[in-house]
Amino acid sequence: MSGNPFDSDEDQSSASGEILEGFLCPICRADLKSIDVLTDHFARQHAEEEDALKSFKDIFTKAKKKILNPFEDEKGASVSSPAGSSSSAAGKNPNGNGDRNGPSNARSRLNVFNYMARQQPGAECSHFEYFQSIRNPRLERYASETNKLIIRLHRLLKDLPADSVQRRQHEQQTVAWLDGSSVKLCPSCAKSFHIARRQHHCRLCGGIMCNDCSKFLPLEDAMQLASLSTTRSEPLQQLHQHENAIRLCEHCLWLLDTRKDMHESRTCRPLLVQVYEQIRQLQKEVTPDLDMYLKIINSLNEGDTIFTLADAGALRGKIGQVAEAMDMRSKRILAIFCEPGSREEALKKAIRLGCIQAIKERMLSLPPLPEESHIRQMQERRRMETEQRILTEQRMAMEAYERNNMAANQSNVGVPGPESGSFAQGSDLQSLNNWSAPQAASKSSLDDPLIEQINIIKGYIKQARQDMNFEVVETLELNLRELQREVYERQRQSQGSTAASPTEA
Amino acid sequence: MNLISGIKLYIEKMCSESGPGMKIILLDKETTSIISMAFSQSDMLQREVYLFERLDSGRSNERLKYLKCIVFIRPTKQNIQLLANELRNPKYSAYYIYFSNIIPRTDIKYLAECDESESVREVKELYADYLCVNPNLFSLGIPNCMANLNWLPDALNRSMQGITAVLLSLKLNPVIRYRAGSQAAQLLAKLIYEQITKESSLFDFRSNMDGAAPPLLLVLDRRDDPVTPLLHQWTYQAMVHELLHIKNNRLDLSNCPNVPKDFKELVLSGDQDDFYGNNMYANYGEIGSTIKQLMEEFQRKANDHKKVESIADMKNFIESYPQFKKMSGTVQKHLCVIGELSALSNKRNLFEVSELEQEIACKAEHSAQLQRIKKLIADERVSIDDALKLVALYALRYERHANCDTSGLLQIIKTRGGRAAIVPSLIEYAGTHVRQGDLFNMVRITDAVKLTRNLIKGLKGVENVFTQHTPLLKETLEDVFKGRELDPLFPAINSELVPFRRPPQEVVVFIIGGATYEEALAVHQLNNAGYKVILGGTTIHNSQSFIQEVVAATSGIQFKHTKSMIKYCSTDNI
Repeated sequence: MSGNPFDSDEDQSSASGEILEGFLCPICRADLKSIDVLTDHFARQHAEEEDALKSFKDIFTKAKKKILNPFEDEKGASVSSPAGSSSSAAGKNPNGNGDRNGPSNARSRLNVFNYMARQQPGAECSHFEYFQSIRNPRLERYASETNKLIIRLHRLLKDLPADSVQRRQHEQQTVAWLDGSSVKLCPSCAKSFHIARRQHHCRLCGGIMCNDCSKFLPLEDAMQLASLSTTRSEPLQQLHQHENAIRLCEHCLWLLDTRKDMHESRTCRPLLVQVYEQIRQLQKEVTPDLDMYLKIINSLNEGDTIFTLADAGALRGKIGQVAEAMDMRSKRILAIFCEPGSREEALKKAIRLGCIQAIKERMLSLPPLPEESHIRQMQERRRMETEQRILTEQRMAMEAYERNNMAANQSNVGVPGPESGSFAQGSDLQSLNNWSAPQAASKSSLDDPLIEQINIIKGYIKQARQDMNFEVVETLELNLRELQREVYERQRQSQGSTAASPTEA
Repeated sequence: MNLISGIKLYIEKMCSESGPGMKIILLDKETTSIISMAFSQSDMLQREVYLFERLDSGRSNERLKYLKCIVFIRPTKQNIQLLANELRNPKYSAYYIYFSNIIPRTDIKYLAECDESESVREVKELYADYLCVNPNLFSLGIPNCMANLNWLPDALNRSMQGITAVLLSLKLNPVIRYRAGSQAAQLLAKLIYEQITKESSLFDFRSNMDGAAPPLLLVLDRRDDPVTPLLHQWTYQAMVHELLHIKNNRLDLSNCPNVPKDFKELVLSGDQDDFYGNNMYANYGEIGSTIKQLMEEFQRKANDHKKVESIADMKNFIESYPQFKKMSGTVQKHLCVIGELSALSNKRNLFEVSELEQEIACKAEHSAQLQRIKKLIADERVSIDDALKLVALYALRYERHANCDTSGLLQIIKTRGGRAAIVPSLIEYAGTHVRQGDLFNMVRITDAVKLTRNLIKGLKGVENVFTQHTPLLKETLEDVFKGRELDPLFPAINSELVPFRRPPQEVVVFIIGGATYEEALAVHQLNNAGYKVILGGTTIHNSQSFIQEVVAATSGIQFKHTKSMIKYCSTDNI
């Protein structure tokens, strides 16, 4: 649970009751959780007991040596594992990780937002299954009912005669009308039928209602619902206004309307949505570029030669173009007409705001391109450093070699184990030389394919640069380096095999 | 144990579960506050949430079928009804419904029956049901939780829900202890225990199985320590709250004449504002110097940019624009707040008042203090509210003192036109007859350890006269972590979980009647020392809101413990 390595063995002993464990103060027996707090507490509270403090410190230094290694390991593990697990939260609190590594420092800084460990999301409880178990049977019932209606509608409309008498016959043939002789009252409004209030029938379920309770579905909508093409229905347009619709009861109409709504909401893609999706797409595409740009700038500033200033410039230009495109599209969204004061207007403004923010915070805040002279300086310095390093390494290797030789001379047979260890430690170069020396001669004929490979890679790099595919550029450049180093080593080998022998002697 | 990330993770979850696409979020009054404490509007925009709407706003039923809708509401009857109406006539294409607390199954059934167009895609409980003020401080936003010194039923229920939500979001199944003798605490503890038992499957966290001592929920009563909310504070967050009143991390400065227009309403969130996060617990004096530093840094940068000569310079300026603007905003904002604070402190003579307050709270010197109080409260520069607070502290400290002269002091208050009735109310609310523990360190001779500790404290002298006082809570928590015997003062309601002589690793403290920022500071210090403590309260009090709560809680009851002040009581308490 906690980062305390003693926790695990605490269990057995604490059951006996009297034995306390942990970072206890020997005088007041308080558990103080960590070494630092305990020593601090001891120095402050029990300052008069000088001798005790001294012996106490001794104990600690001894104990520290013993525990420090596993303790440090665990600490490292506890820092790294939660940081990786919740990557979503990690982005928001950038100070979190750094400060945990130096706890004493963080404590004095008094910032609450840093010290707490990463945490998992809390408990949750989904009710969706239960919700579905209630909802779905109901919906299925509606769905089958609606499907039935649509099949009937289809049949009804397929060969709908223009003549009103024929039409009535056709309607009654498709859907049997209920016998209305025993129905005295309208089922939906409970008013009695008489000469002035006549019985009417729903054309889809055959149910009875009065004229006031009847609903009308325009033929055009009906055609759409029944997925019939409207081209065929031209004669219907000339029909009388009153007959240009289908008489329905309220329930049937509601079922059909719901179906239409659902269909619409699933297929609704106005211009706003299309432009918005373009913006998101742009944003998504540009994200790796942003990371890449930062990487390039970093590597340039460090004096690496994998990327050039031109690369950074080109990428920056590309990012700028994307930013412009996003800006333009968000403006276009803003220009789409809508009711003032409506929700849609608020939505468009919010999209524009979000867009501006994203551009400002992620794209415009990119570090500027470094000066060319600065880069050259950095590269120069780096080269000097590398040369320096190689020189010292060589010197060390030489020394190690000489020492080795001396040791070998002193004890004629020598002890191979430790010596070979120090050999490898002393220098990579030397060991590499020794190791590859016998093979070099046999492989020297392969130099040509290597160089050929180098040229091929160079070609690839050029192409990748043009396509601004910088990730590829990076891997290829690294490959190229390795190849070049290999070639260089080989050449040195062939020259050095003659030159090296005098030094060895 | 970080409350802010607890809430944030929940909201992230809502936004990500609904997938890509434009979103609207439907909220109720309380969840609006909950979200706004953790996320700013621009954070939500980055998560594709473009519209915020209240479920009860009753706005037009303009349909936007291309929007997805996240619903995040508390599971109240009214909300369920409103949501049912919304589902019958869905305005948006898909609904992702999240309840902030445990919801009865019948309500889910009802909603399922209303979803006739199959637009609901998710129904979930996510327990983000509390206002996270700091990572270790939460509030439930209940300004008054008592009437006639008993729980208001709504407040009781809300507190139970809020605390269970905290426990669930941090995945804790605690031992529950309450302050012995406090009916309010006992009742709340019992309700929480019942809820946990009822929902035992939810509280089944495996972390408790590995032999570690279970966490502890400590339900306390404000009436044990009425002094802390009355004292003037000098740490940044507490001071701002005392003098300017922070509500849901927002600061309303519209009444201050010298404040520029842009800063009439400020957001103070340590999570979004690094300066505030670093300095919320710093002393007033420290803040001044930090601000100065920040100013200099800012000016240096500003000057840097003033030399905009070439096009390259201009470009540079624009390139660092967001940070530049952010930084200048932060500096100006805090400068503005600090300016307001310093003006108020000088105007109300707060240094002198605060020094005396601290003396009364920490030292027993009756006659000397009485003289100083008399002198100060007659001073016109001391505001009537501050004078009243001094008298209240005096009345609390010397309630049983042989020469207690509270009536005399109240007379002075009355002649100055102050609300003298507050003091008897306060005594009824939290006098010695209700209190437990030793609020004023009145140590019995038998308790040798404490006696020597106090002696050492006395010899060392005080480092800062304005911050001598430490809240009772700190002592209580230290006892908890030292593994002292808790049962007499804080009995456990589910004693079968109590481990034998092992202090808990994690503690959640809830104070009925409101927590204070001074206590939050104490908790923060404990957290820095390696413990894990979270503090909550029905609300976060400053002295004004505390006095209001006291008056509301005691109105209408008959006063039994303040016979000597009867002529200052308000008429309905006699």
